[in-house]
Amino acid sequence: MITRHTALSANIVAFCRFLRKKGFTLSAEEEADALRSLEWIDYTKPAELRDALRAVLCRNRRNLEAFDALFQQYWKELEKAVDSKIAQQEHRKPKPGRQQEAFKSLKTWLNGNQEKEEERTAYYGLSENLNRRDFAAVPADEVDELMRAIRALSRRLAAHLNRRRQATRQHASLDLRRTLRANLRRGGELLDLAWNKPKRNRAKLVVLCDVSQSMELYTAFLLQFLYAFQQVFRRVETFTFSTDLQRITPLLRERNYEEALQVLSSQPLGWSGGTKIGHALDTFVRDHAPRMLDSRTSVIILSDGLDMGETELLTNALVRIRAHSRRIIWLNPLAGYAAYQPQTAGMQAAWPHLDVFLPGHNVDSLRKLGRWLGA
Amino acid sequence: MLSGQGYITDDAVSMAVFLSMQLQKPLLVEGPAGVGKTEIAKVMANALETDLIRLQCYEGLDATHALYEWNYQRQLLHLKATEQSAQSVEEKEATIFGQNFLLKRPLLQAITHHRKPVLLIDEIDRSDEEFESFLLELLSDWQITIPEIGTIKATHIPQVILTGNRTRELSEALRRRCLYLYIDYPDFEKEWLIVKNKVPGIDDRLAEQICRFIEVLRTLQLEKTPGIAETLDWAFALSGMHLDHLDRSIIEQTFGVILKDWKDTRRVQLSLSELLERTGIQSKFDDL
Repeated sequence: MITRHTALSANIVAFCRFLRKKGFTLSAEEEADALRSLEWIDYTKPAELRDALRAVLCRNRRNLEAFDALFQQYWKELEKAVDSKIAQQEHRKPKPGRQQEAFKSLKTWLNGNQEKEEERTAYYGLSENLNRRDFAAVPADEVDELMRAIRALSRRLAAHLNRRRQATRQHASLDLRRTLRANLRRGGELLDLAWNKPKRNRAKLVVLCDVSQSMELYTAFLLQFLYAFQQVFRRVETFTFSTDLQRITPLLRERNYEEALQVLSSQPLGWSGGTKIGHALDTFVRDHAPRMLDSRTSVIILSDGLDMGETELLTNALVRIRAHSRRIIWLNPLAGYAAYQPQTAGMQAAWPHLDVFLPGHNVDSLRKLGRWLGA
Repeated sequence: MLSGQGYITDDAVSMAVFLSMQLQKPLLVEGPAGVGKTEIAKVMANALETDLIRLQCYEGLDATHALYEWNYQRQLLHLKATEQSAQSVEEKEATIFGQNFLLKRPLLQAITHHRKPVLLIDEIDRSDEEFESFLLELLSDWQITIPEIGTIKATHIPQVILTGNRTRELSEALRRRCLYLYIDYPDFEKEWLIVKNKVPGIDDRLAEQICRFIEVLRTLQLEKTPGIAETLDWAFALSGMHLDHLDRSIIEQTFGVILKDWKDTRRVQLSLSELLERTGIQSKFDDL
């Protein structure tokens, strides 16, 4: 009996390792919990063992959904192989990491972000030329420099917005806590009154980025720019779309850039699919809008408006988004050209429903965007 | 344990609850609205014969509302009353910042309770991230520091249940501290049991039809999918009317109980015939 127990413990540890390779985040603590829970259950019943391990080892719904199949797979392999460790190694098949060429630059950016961000390149050092340069026209070797500049700029703008006042001299409302504190030395006679003003309720932001081939680089720059604003806004939700809508907020938040990249690059790219912005926004309105939009939420849409979908869907979606949000800001890099007129069908349809229309194609226009984010 | 309290459940749920008690870890319950997440905590408190302390989260919830606050009015009165006494400032200060002048909010209540309570932190995903990280500290150390008094350690570690319905992604750090449980809408058999159990005296045929109809209704993409709470409300209403079966006109008249969005109502109205067909409920007129 004892030997058998030991074997089970070893197997559970091995199973945890197996799960880790399948994308579970497990620390030693969960392993310990799993082993401890054996005390209280009848582990000779597979179903009970499965339920217990599932309860202890799963973190989120994704884990839960994958768990049962993995559990079965593992224990099946175990029966086949005498030595569990051999069985486990067979499982370790390196996933073919197919890297899309179009995302090379994005990847450098994503990886670059993981490095120390201490080197604060002075924004002012950026040449006037680069300030005005269209992102698409930036040579590859200058992308890094530009990213750093944007990071510095956005941090500066964000810090400015983040300065929240609390105490005030206006007689807004009495701050009893501070009043009592301040007057204790007078033996409780309340002479000096302290006042406070409610903290400004911070706004929320929803970002919808076009990641079709023509827009990929602009999206990368915009996301980099908005990264610093995560601290300013109470909540930033980020979506990408080409033909379908994807929510990437959790990936960006957990700083899991590698995974974010995979999601981005798994999108069907190029002209074959085309962008269906109407469809994407419609999905957003149906699935996410009710719980993400309110009168303090600004919505940023980044797209060139070369819509291949139905314009009616687009118009309806925009009307609904506008009705439930603070403002819609549309960034269209094509508008950076002096001769630009919003003449594509998509842009024509969208135009009447927008609050702010900006190019967002270079550093200068991002700075303008920053101004709108504060208001 | 749970079924003894009239809570219909399955193995996965009971195992998660059982282990969270054994391992002394908080249990994070997620799932759509109205599937009985909150109910778990209530049932647990009942079964353990202890008190339920509930903290309802909302946007902007802060430490003052969740943890403690000084009873300023009482402090002021006390100072006025002792104005003539010979107490020194230090003595006065020591008095008014004592336990007597402390208003305990749910979290402080929970850790200073005289016996091990069940602490329900409801809809944690509605609170701000700042509050979440503050909670994290409490859940790992089980102590609270009040500057004027010092550190208060938990007398009993409460049994914590957190609920959320994914309006916001919770942080990985919080998830790590908890066991995770996802409750989905129940299948037909489970829901039928729940209805039979909670609505005594309901007609068998009516209960079955109600559950079938709700089951079909949930397959539609509605703005607000009806939960168990809605099913039960409906069952109560219909059995209160002493009905023994459903038909088209009854459903149309009682839409308001299960559908809470006018667009949903319109949508269901339009596809009612199809729904009834799938449910196998006959309309009065079909019989003629």
